[in-house]
Amino acid sequence: MTPIDDDAPPLDPAESLALIERERAKLGRDLSPDPRLMFWPWGIAWLVGFALFFLRFGPDGRVFVDLPAWLPLAALALLMIGAGITTGVVGSRVSRRVTGPSNRQGAMYGISWSVAFTAFSILFAQFSDVLPESQAGLLWAGGMVALTGALYMAGAAIWNDRNMFLLGSWTSLINIVGILAGPGWHSLIVAVAGGGGMVAAGLIGWLRLR
Amino acid sequence: MSDHSEPLVTELDPVIHAQARLRVVSALSVLRDDDRIAFPQLQQSLNMTAGNLSVHLRKLEDASYVEVTKTHHGRTPATLVRLTRRGRLAFDDYTAALRALLNPKEEP
Repeated sequence: MTPIDDDAPPLDPAESLALIERERAKLGRDLSPDPRLMFWPWGIAWLVGFALFFLRFGPDGRVFVDLPAWLPLAALALLMIGAGITTGVVGSRVSRRVTGPSNRQGAMYGISWSVAFTAFSILFAQFSDVLPESQAGLLWAGGMVALTGALYMAGAAIWNDRNMFLLGSWTSLINIVGILAGPGWHSLIVAVAGGGGMVAAGLIGWLRLR
Repeated sequence: MSDHSEPLVTELDPVIHAQARLRVVSALSVLRDDDRIAFPQLQQSLNMTAGNLSVHLRKLEDASYVEVTKTHHGRTPATLVRLTRRGRLAFDDYTAALRALLNPKEEP
């Protein structure tokens, strides 16, 4: 074999294969957003936000902690807006490193989230005044969590990501269980199992990338 | 069964068979078809100097394994790199040849 220049040839086949895997893993890592930054803000928003809902609007109208009635929704909304901004900034910063079909896909997926959440918010706002407080709360929370589960499952289909599909299915499942259990219980289940699921997803994703 | 792996060595693509270019092609192989990576990002991931990376990219370009395009993101000029279909094929052949060297028995 004639080398085309004096650059050092790889040492042996096993080392070359290891080198290939190292470089592939390195760039793969550099081109994926940190899973902790993508999942933890949402996990924390759900854990804290829905826990406040449970404490203030417990099952059968119970009040475990007499917080101001506006506080749980305000806290959840703020935390979710913060999470949306964080994942949006982190995601777009990473996607700028590549130009082509991949970042178009990512942009379309990001836009899907915003459009779907806006549509659901406008729809649910129409019913907020005609439903009892606890039912309206369940409609909002159940709808948003259903949307989140479905979008994670769709995202998993785009990137062929089994873990993301698992997270989406899990979120959808616990949402249905919570809705059937009723107002109050839904908040507790979503806080612990939903928020906890996202924190776990971020941790697993990060450990796999390391 | 043959224990002469020597003839296979001659089949290893000389363009890729150099540590630096093997690293470049390996990294680029992560990109999906038609995706292009920004030069500074590739340089940072590979931890190479800009000059060194340019030299190797030129050699890969000469073999039509990579495509380097200059474009503008707003006002800032940007250099984008992608692996061509031919480059991907060469990389796949190269890794297959390495595996064959390691496990000659598994060769059909």
